[in-house]
Amino acid sequence: MSDGGEAEGRRDEHNDSNMRFGADEYSRAIARVAMAQICEGIGFEGFNESALDSLADIAIRYVCELGKTSRLYANLAGRMSCNIFDIVQGLEDMGTPQGFTGASEVHSDCVVSSGAIREIKEYLETADEVPFGQPVPHFPVISEQRMIPSFLQMGETPAFKCVPPWLPAFPDPHTYLQTPVWNERQSDARTDKIELARQHRKAERSLLSLQQRLICNGSSVATTSDEPYNEENGLEVNNNGNLIFENPLDAGKIVMSKISIPPKLSSQAHAEKKVSLLETFAPAIEAMKDGLESGSDGENTIPEKKAPVFLELKGGKKLFGEPLDLRIRNKAVGRAALWFGHNGENDDKKRRVEFILRQSLENQQELPQ
Amino acid sequence: MNGQTSHQQPKDGRHDDDAALTEFLASLMDYTPTIPDELVEHYLAKSGFQCPDARLTRLVAVATQKFIADVATDALQQCKARPAVIKDKRDKQQKEKRLILTMEDLSKALREYGVNVKHQEYFADTPSAGLDPASRDE
Repeated sequence: MSDGGEAEGRRDEHNDSNMRFGADEYSRAIARVAMAQICEGIGFEGFNESALDSLADIAIRYVCELGKTSRLYANLAGRMSCNIFDIVQGLEDMGTPQGFTGASEVHSDCVVSSGAIREIKEYLETADEVPFGQPVPHFPVISEQRMIPSFLQMGETPAFKCVPPWLPAFPDPHTYLQTPVWNERQSDARTDKIELARQHRKAERSLLSLQQRLICNGSSVATTSDEPYNEENGLEVNNNGNLIFENPLDAGKIVMSKISIPPKLSSQAHAEKKVSLLETFAPAIEAMKDGLESGSDGENTIPEKKAPVFLELKGGKKLFGEPLDLRIRNKAVGRAALWFGHNGENDDKKRRVEFILRQSLENQQELPQ
Repeated sequence: MNGQTSHQQPKDGRHDDDAALTEFLASLMDYTPTIPDELVEHYLAKSGFQCPDARLTRLVAVATQKFIADVATDALQQCKARPAVIKDKRDKQQKEKRLILTMEDLSKALREYGVNVKHQEYFADTPSAGLDPASRDE
């Protein structure tokens, strides 16, 4: 028996940690404690878990049975609520297997003299009063119900005339119909493009600053190709980069800018191949800084006299290898002169220039699309 | 017969009855049963017992407590009646065994009240536990 008790105890511990107790568990636990207290008063010193559980279960069943029987007798008499006579009759019913004194006088008028009550009276006089150990709150606790607001509370009028407004409101249509998830808003092409241009400029600025930092860190980020090549690429990029900004304003307007470079820049470029990038791009960087400080829209930065070619950003792959120069060139174009093909010495350069011009023409054709 | 006697003296008898009843119910309220009132109310409400009077709830609680006390007393008798299993080394000392409520005693006590409680004596972990070695091999 003791082994059985131990096994049950272990199992109960394991279950307690994992189980969530139902509403019944609370009352059963209380019943167990009450039974233990009663038995302790009788004289027991210890219990087996199973025995205590069985006793608690029997007590609960006794209460339920008594309530049921009393209700039965009350209903039989045509009443809804029970009174003491019903309970006494229920007690006598439950005591019949065992028998109680005065069973033959069950139908007496006096209730108190019935056997069941007499026994209880004796018990009251003889037994010790052992109240329950802990205060028990009133249970079950009924949580507040959240009522659905009525039509009046919602400020709505019911769709049907037959529905009075004090009834709960109907659910919103999105609960049973498929309604659009996003907010419909007016899409303005102009504002969209301006926004896009702004975002592009932001990205460019951050990239420029990064490149500037890279320059400062080491001059190993030198361009491998020649100056003209860069400039040509710069021209190309310039064409590509500004297209999207200026599209609404200068749609279809492709101007090949043959800008004469300031002699200073050209001489610099020719003088040394290995020129420090910082020196070379100093004016460009300054121009960029000016551009950043002004913080104006792309539309305003480009002065009218210098209208660079506006093309799509298609040649991005070519440009990727040398983003630094191109970006800086991009900014510098607005203010500084662009030198392209000045040398005229290398056929390679010429071919490059022609290629870029051809590309710009193709892009221009794709513009209206 | 009782009815006839009460017919002859109806009013006095009824008054006595009422007085006795009121007295009885008052004595009920003095006594605090071990079973808490909330528990009893919960289970009475579950079984459909409707009564706003707290005295009746107390009556049910006391009745239940009396019933359980009777059962427990019988179980105690059973426990005491069983001869002591443990042999004490010293013969002078009387056998002192702890009075523990076991399922055996409880089921024996409850049988008189018409409650049939049967408890498994042991649980086997395999179906072949406790069988002959010959049949287990098969």
